[in-house]
Amino acid sequence: MLLSIISQSFFQPFSIEDNLLVILTALTSGSGVGFNRAMLFRTAGEVLKGELWLGPKSAEEANSIWEVLSTPGIGYVEIIEHNRALLSRQADSLSKRLKPLVYSLDREPLSIPALAAAKREVVWVKDARSEPSVDKTFLDVIGVDEWLCVPLFSGEEVLGEVILDNAITRRPIERKDIKLASLCGLMAGNYMYATMLHKKLADMERMAALGEMAMFVMHQLRNPLAAIGGFTDQLVNFPNDEVRTRRNLDIIRKEIKRLEDVLFKLTPFLKMDMRKPISFELPPVVQTVLQGPNIQAKRESIPIEVEIEDRLPEILGDPTYVGEALRNLLDNALEATKKGGRVSVRAGRQEKNWVILCIQDTGKGLPESVKDKLFDPFFSTKDRGMGVGLFFVKRVMDAYGGRIEVESELGKGTLFRLFFRSREEKGENP
Amino acid sequence: MKKLLIVEDEEALCLLYKEELSREGYDVTTVHNTEQVLEMLGRESFDLIVTDIRMPGRDGVELITEIMGLRKDIPIIINTAYQSYREDFMTWAADAYVVKSSSLDELKSKIKELLS
Repeated sequence: MLLSIISQSFFQPFSIEDNLLVILTALTSGSGVGFNRAMLFRTAGEVLKGELWLGPKSAEEANSIWEVLSTPGIGYVEIIEHNRALLSRQADSLSKRLKPLVYSLDREPLSIPALAAAKREVVWVKDARSEPSVDKTFLDVIGVDEWLCVPLFSGEEVLGEVILDNAITRRPIERKDIKLASLCGLMAGNYMYATMLHKKLADMERMAALGEMAMFVMHQLRNPLAAIGGFTDQLVNFPNDEVRTRRNLDIIRKEIKRLEDVLFKLTPFLKMDMRKPISFELPPVVQTVLQGPNIQAKRESIPIEVEIEDRLPEILGDPTYVGEALRNLLDNALEATKKGGRVSVRAGRQEKNWVILCIQDTGKGLPESVKDKLFDPFFSTKDRGMGVGLFFVKRVMDAYGGRIEVESELGKGTLFRLFFRSREEKGENP
Repeated sequence: MKKLLIVEDEEALCLLYKEELSREGYDVTTVHNTEQVLEMLGRESFDLIVTDIRMPGRDGVELITEIMGLRKDIPIIINTAYQSYREDFMTWAADAYVVKSSSLDELKSKIKELLS
């Protein structure tokens, strides 16, 4: 159970904080290693900083809320939800005492707890009071004599340290606990490292996307401005030409409208940061989108068939963004389809823990040459398209650990498949 | 009368350039895409070409290369909303680079300069 939970953190769409908390939970829950408390330090430059401390305050608390986590088959999402609730309840206690603690990783002599992270070795403190290298403030905070320091690292990169103890049960630490805890530390370290690299890459991608956006916006704004400027100059130069004045004012009005459209269509880029995923029901979101005024108007000439499987599990993401993504795809489908054609929306289970949403049309289809570029920002197959719709859809799917696939044939139509992670169904998880 | 060929996919701008440059005393022909340009050049001769860069059909930069291969003697002005292409060495082949703005003064003066 323990290792399977930790290995899942690599694939879950939650933030690193949420996932680290799950790892701490796994180390402290009854069916895991079974330590009473887990403390997390993370490195920031050359120092180790206290960040999170998870554990029951008393034996009673350990028996009540902590035991929930030992329930066989408990899902990842349930643990996350449990942790979020727990943290908001105990914001005052453990972590608050840990946060002021900061230890240098490169200044000798190294004290405990910094030693384990700096040397990338597990340190087992058996009798803290007789151990001179233990930092006195740390001893006051932890308040026990025996604990385990597990470094979190990947290769040469030190990412943090976990400190585990049995403050409640006073059960002595055993050799087998150490083996398992070190293995968890190794996995958690690799997870943190992968996340760090991923974030760096995402930042770089974001910068590149911003550069591209700036260039695109410039172009989108300069053309209408050139027209507005030129036709305004004509108004000044020929104040008495009534026909020309009317025509120019019409053109100017239209170009101003275009400027407004550009601003409106750029809205998805303001949502560069996706919100935290929650689990929610997909069918009501689909219904809301289908009832939107834009879609309703188009539905009159092109029917939309809807087929949603009963009792779908909840999916992970943000309902508003998922709804907007669907609306984008439906808009495209309806636009590509001529009168007499069909558009369909289907949702159902797909393997274990996935829900699939398909949007299919019998429209003009996409040429092979554009398929690779389809989700690029500012790429559009429409004459006046801005190329932000599908880019946004892809971002929503990526942000919540899902994926999107497209199948299309010229003259026959296009099918988009959206794969959402679903909340685990009870009793299916090991 | 000097003959100008304007390649511009924005309809409003085509109209504006045609009116304003005709008023300056040029014979102005406008086309909306790069495909039409080569066809046009096969039929008629022009004294100067003004072209945008990113347009439907062939890319404007490619177009310039092709025109140069065809008739090296026609001066070409790149007139575009993209400032950044100025650094693209492919555009150095053009005789002038004008970034579109709310005033036509720069374009007019570059045309005059190249035709004098």
